[in-house]
Amino acid sequence: MADVGLVDVSLRDGNQSLWGATGLRTAHIAQVAPLMERVGFRALDYSSSTAMGVAVRTHREDPWERLRLTRAAMPTTKLQFIGTGFRFISWQNSHPETMQLVYDRLVVNGIDRVVVLDPMHDMDAARETARRLKQAGVDEVIGALTFTISVVHDDAFYADLAGQFAADPNFDRVYVKDPAGILSAERARTLLPAIVARLQGTPLELHSHATIGLSPMTYSIAPELGVEVVQVGSGALGNGSSLPEARRTVANLRAMGHRVDIDDRALGMVCDFFDGLAVAEELPVGRPQDFDAAFLHHQIAGGVMTTTRRQLSEIGMEHRFDALVEEVGVVRAEMGHPIMVTPFPQMVVSQALFNVIGERYANVPDQVIRYVLGSFGRPTAPIDPTVKDRILDRPRARELASEPPPPPPAELRKRFRRGISDEELLLRAHMPEDQVDAMLAAAPAPRHFNPSLAPVLTLLHELGSRTSVHDLAVTTPGLRMSVRRASGGTSVG
Amino acid sequence: MGRVASTGRRIHRLLIANRGEIAARVIRTCGRLGIESVLAASDADLESLPARLADRVVRLGPADAARSYLDPAAVVRAARAVEADAVHPGYGFLSENPSLARACAAAGIVFIGPTPESLEAVGDKLTARSHAVAAGLPVVPGGEAADLAGAQAVAAEVGYPLLVKAVGGGGGRGMKLVAGPGDLARTLDLAVSEAAAAFGDPRVYLERFVSSGRHVELQILGDGSRAVALGDRDCSVQRRYQKLFEEAPAPLLSDALRAEMTAAALALAGHLRYRGLGTVELLVDRARGTFYFLEMNARIQVEHPVTEMVTGLDLVAEQIAVAEGLPLRIRQEDVVLTGHAVECRINAEDWTTGFRPSPGRIDRVVLPVGEGLRVDTHVQGGSDVPPHYDSLLAKLIVHGTDRDDAVARARAALDLLRIEGVATTVPVHQALLADPEFAAGGVDTTFFERFLDQQLVGAR
Repeated sequence: MADVGLVDVSLRDGNQSLWGATGLRTAHIAQVAPLMERVGFRALDYSSSTAMGVAVRTHREDPWERLRLTRAAMPTTKLQFIGTGFRFISWQNSHPETMQLVYDRLVVNGIDRVVVLDPMHDMDAARETARRLKQAGVDEVIGALTFTISVVHDDAFYADLAGQFAADPNFDRVYVKDPAGILSAERARTLLPAIVARLQGTPLELHSHATIGLSPMTYSIAPELGVEVVQVGSGALGNGSSLPEARRTVANLRAMGHRVDIDDRALGMVCDFFDGLAVAEELPVGRPQDFDAAFLHHQIAGGVMTTTRRQLSEIGMEHRFDALVEEVGVVRAEMGHPIMVTPFPQMVVSQALFNVIGERYANVPDQVIRYVLGSFGRPTAPIDPTVKDRILDRPRARELASEPPPPPPAELRKRFRRGISDEELLLRAHMPEDQVDAMLAAAPAPRHFNPSLAPVLTLLHELGSRTSVHDLAVTTPGLRMSVRRASGGTSVG
Repeated sequence: MGRVASTGRRIHRLLIANRGEIAARVIRTCGRLGIESVLAASDADLESLPARLADRVVRLGPADAARSYLDPAAVVRAARAVEADAVHPGYGFLSENPSLARACAAAGIVFIGPTPESLEAVGDKLTARSHAVAAGLPVVPGGEAADLAGAQAVAAEVGYPLLVKAVGGGGGRGMKLVAGPGDLARTLDLAVSEAAAAFGDPRVYLERFVSSGRHVELQILGDGSRAVALGDRDCSVQRRYQKLFEEAPAPLLSDALRAEMTAAALALAGHLRYRGLGTVELLVDRARGTFYFLEMNARIQVEHPVTEMVTGLDLVAEQIAVAEGLPLRIRQEDVVLTGHAVECRINAEDWTTGFRPSPGRIDRVVLPVGEGLRVDTHVQGGSDVPPHYDSLLAKLIVHGTDRDDAVARARAALDLLRIEGVATTVPVHQALLADPEFAAGGVDTTFFERFLDQQLVGAR
């Protein structure tokens, strides 16, 4: 029997895996944050540079303001940011001093836990990022052991990395990150003890997606193998390609004899909120998944699958989905088996998409060229030499190879209006400026959202646009609402 | 702006030891924060709207408030029975009663309010006054009068006219005006015997009577080590010291006076190492352009929504947070006041017959809704207004871009609002909002009685 803590990923990974990273807005988060605070989660997987970019681009909402509001509503819960340490919002690498500024501002605005995610497992880079995070004042720095199945990624490989994290005082905790959800209970029984043996007491967390239904079982035995915290999604934002659902996980852990000290009632309210939000905004609900053996081959994680289907249907090629999945496996092998976690699924899938709709490697996205040029670090296995030559033998590759190094913050400041905040500078430096302008023009973001009011608000909105309607009364048991068009044109009820 | 450590206890289940609109108000914040609300209701309130809004209801005692809402032992018993983590006392009843705060502490239950020491420091008017003096606040010239000789000595200093006030009184109760030296002896005797009968405390004190004063109060919030001021409110529209209409910010005050008043309120909060919501009531002397400390209310106020509208804060949530031992999450520089807010207290009273209470069955309720409109109420069609308690039915709160806008919108909202079945004070608010002197802003505490006389004359 063990005490097991929970980290909830609904707001970041849940939203990204199930709702294409675009489902949640500031109003939703501001509304649910006080409820999540009351549950007693150890931390929330809260944001990433992708999520911050989406806030600006898709919703015209300030991600920094959103963070400050969340921190005010959640004074005691750790809020986690996840990043590679190389980039902020854009796909291009940032100057190390710019990354330092990013971390400094994240801490000032409320982030106190950061995951260092380097799927290449380049430990020198990870140690340098952890050092910078501690310099910024991050309370908890988490090292990621990104799990995959391959000939090189055996138990000893992960145990060695775990030992390296444990030896660096800048890492406070370690987690096994299984973005594809392919860590079976069977493998966990050898892998987790091998890792724990090298951690020397550094706490271990487990993050395994529910994509093919394996992780609920892995979670239920994880505490006896030394895992202290499991990561979950709540209600509609659990299951599917997100993480195991929170309430089910709690019930399973307790059934296994473990103690989970949370406010079950508050957790129920959080789940109900996401369920209600999914209905109100017509967003998909995470459901328990069937086992899918083919998935062990392509390993397309989380939201990438959803996004890819959408992209295919947008170009009228939904019928080529199976061919695309096949090509993803081939491209991944040619690229040297990158672990399918951000940014590599997007990179591999978009290359596979170009290969399926046209001649193979005729079109190559910039981020693939950059990967082959080594901007993302050293690939785990060598890139197929024929493919490498094919990619680098094009003018765009030579252009990118001769790009100047990224500018430091002092250089960036000269490019923008004087007197803007560091937060605004970081957005302007990494995004098209018109998107930042549009965000500022739309401020402030709404701070309340009641899913059960959505139908009524839709009705009122539609009525407002129909000038022929002057009076409307709705009567149901327990409610009578009347709306009258005032002479000035505004309606009161 | 990082995470903070709580020194207190997380509240998961909260007992609300109150009734009426403030019970509904606290329940709403509990719902938003994921706290389970349990309403402690007397027999007269078991079917009330708050009882239906709460997650659970526990019987507190009979309808008689002395044996329910005013009985600390009954409240603690109810809290224990439902295993509540905390008790919210609302306003009135036991909200400023140190013995409830102590009994909660003894039972391991969080009392959502200041420490018993703070309650004692400000609950007694004389102690409060001495704390105010110690904190450097100006007080109305005056002093305690143990006997006639003592009273005459104080009167010689402060001059006539003066007020005789009961130490245990409050909310306008236990106050008498003395016009000249000839009335002092008789009024003093009467005041002492009445104070003994009404408050169980015969002590009285004398104070200079300010002929034209405005009632302006400062909202403060403290965590025990730091406090912030959340703006002021004007509550000068009163009838027999009962507030009818409040607004934030107080109109037509100079920036310098406002800043001095804010500094004074913060000084008192600092002196008391105050934790919780508190209101520092000040008397603004219109003639002298200065202010005096009146008293401090160590609880949430009826009129708190006007402050919420202009600050954008949920004061009940802030109150709960500091009671949980969390440090303040607001810095003084974060407090930004936007626009102007007004509140009309709608009571079940017949204003044409001396505001006689009008309990009974509510037939129909229609509430205005819209941007900047808020109605805090505990009644709906079919509700009973029991005769045992105060007559407050609802508060109409309206937020506007400025005072004129707020008042104009309040007028429109009052025209839409319907509470039928009992007599209400809606008509008197409609008349008030149409009055030119009121519309100009900054009326004193004698204004409303004069206004009322004119109205009644006009009605005849």
